[in-house]
Amino acid sequence: MLNKLIRFIDATNQSISSMVSWLLALMVLTMFCIVVLRYGFNIGSIAVQESITYMHGLVFMLAIAHTLRINGHVRVDILYQRWGKKGQAIVNLLGSLFLLLPVCAFIVYISWDYVSSSWSYYEGSREAGGLEGVFLLKSLIPLMAFLLFLQGLSEAMKSICTLSEKQ
Amino acid sequence: MDGSIALWMFGAVFIVLLMGYPVAISLAGTALVFAFAGDYLGTFDSAFLEALPNRLFGIIENDTLVAVPLFVFMGVMLEKSNVAESLLENMSKLFGTLSGGLGFSVVLVGMLMAASTGIVGATVVTMGLLSLPTMLKRQYDPALACGTICASGTLGQIIPPSIVLVLLGDVISSAYQQAQLDMGIFSPETVSVGDLFAGALIPGIVLVILYLIYLAGIAFFKPSACPALPVEETDNSLYLNLIMGLLPPLILIIAVLGSIIGGIATPTEAASVGAMGATFLAFLKKQFSLQQLKVVAQDTTQVTSMVFFILIGASLFSLVFRGFGGDELIEELLSDLPGGVFGAMLVVMLVMFLLGFVLDFIEITFVVVPIVAPILLAMGISPVWLGIMIALNLQTSFLTPPFGFALFYLRGVAPASIKTSQIYRGVLPFILIQLFLLTLLAIWPDLATWLPTIIYGN
Repeated sequence: MLNKLIRFIDATNQSISSMVSWLLALMVLTMFCIVVLRYGFNIGSIAVQESITYMHGLVFMLAIAHTLRINGHVRVDILYQRWGKKGQAIVNLLGSLFLLLPVCAFIVYISWDYVSSSWSYYEGSREAGGLEGVFLLKSLIPLMAFLLFLQGLSEAMKSICTLSEKQ
Repeated sequence: MDGSIALWMFGAVFIVLLMGYPVAISLAGTALVFAFAGDYLGTFDSAFLEALPNRLFGIIENDTLVAVPLFVFMGVMLEKSNVAESLLENMSKLFGTLSGGLGFSVVLVGMLMAASTGIVGATVVTMGLLSLPTMLKRQYDPALACGTICASGTLGQIIPPSIVLVLLGDVISSAYQQAQLDMGIFSPETVSVGDLFAGALIPGIVLVILYLIYLAGIAFFKPSACPALPVEETDNSLYLNLIMGLLPPLILIIAVLGSIIGGIATPTEAASVGAMGATFLAFLKKQFSLQQLKVVAQDTTQVTSMVFFILIGASLFSLVFRGFGGDELIEELLSDLPGGVFGAMLVVMLVMFLLGFVLDFIEITFVVVPIVAPILLAMGISPVWLGIMIALNLQTSFLTPPFGFALFYLRGVAPASIKTSQIYRGVLPFILIQLFLLTLLAIWPDLATWLPTIIYGN
């Protein structure tokens, strides 16, 4: 049961992360096209320019959770690296419970009104001809926190498993 | 409100960080605990936290920071297509027959690669894996070899287009705005990432030249520490290979840097050209495939989300820090120092140097610089000079035993026969060179500010 939940969370965040990494490749290409069109042909489009912001936001906000799983977030590892598997599991368990989960819950809570007021009038771009999805872009904030919350649960459960293993 | 709670929070976060939980969450989590406790005890107004969603959205919307994933993409692509390897191989063939020649090649390749990746860890590890075995085999003094590799690897901080300069540029630019508004200037001057790139160029090149002079000195006075390679029969194909290996990355870097410094393109635009150029280069080297693209894109995504997550954690931390009146406290402390601007700058530099043992450049940029930079800038310090001083200072910190990051990275890939004390001994002369340049820059700020003034006027 627990294992199933861990696997489900990990797989979800992994597939989101690999989806957005293709988006990153698309972003590189789009940005290059913008440059070519602007400097070569003097053509510019606010909507295309803004799509860069959307892709960029999607990429880094939604990949944060998976980056946690593969241990891609920097740590100060002067002591951490010497603490052995169990010691590290304790750090990760305590960190998940007392730092990560509260922070994620708090971000969802504090951004709720901010995002829902944006949804209430389907907030669009400030620029004429821009993309009309600012409310979606703002929704990335609680969504990021939600996905990270799930990943934090998964990591906490994994730490418990490590700790309960026999020597 | 008593600002000293803010300092306690700084102390607390330091201890939490040392436990080794990811930095971004440690910053945010500790700040949150303090905010809740302060709210409960009535020393903290939780209205400060209401600003958080807007701050976070500001990070998503920030146009300058879009350059980060693009530069990372360019760096990862160059790394995965083995540009550095063939560069180093060809260069050491060219210089290798001179005493100290191998060291020269390491510094020059380090400079070129640094300019294109800007990630310290990556450069030190790559150079350590590629050149340390060769240098040892050729009877180089192990200490000298290690020192050269570490120092060359950290060049990525200072030589543009380094990613940390992009981040630093963004932070310093908003600090500069704030400082001027505080002084009652309502049409503030701006400072851009391009200014910082231009400012870093001369100090960076001077640094490389100083490294080379040191190596030349060793080669002259103590040739046994860096013997020449035996002369192989050189044919013309070597020069052709070298040029073919050297030209493409060189053109790429000059194009990216030139268009930014020349004011033709924004860093983001230039970075996208760099990213596509690196992809094209990989294609020419027959290293490009869909699989390769996938790996590069995934690595880039991870590095990007790591960087931005620190920014997210740091913005919660600095909100709470402000809420406790920490910025006013720091301002008081800094302006009460004897020695005025000089004293304040010296203390900030020393503190950053020490913090550099524990935190890396990105964290210091996001956590410490926003607190101290507006105060220093309000004292009339030039923003470009401040940025380059910070960069150079942290680069020195990363080289300094026993905690310098570069040393850890090299230790990780160096063979066990190398003693850690040899690594320490080897970097020592390079640290002296760093301190020399830092002093030089402190005495003549023009070293950093001259080029941006020439290019951009004012």
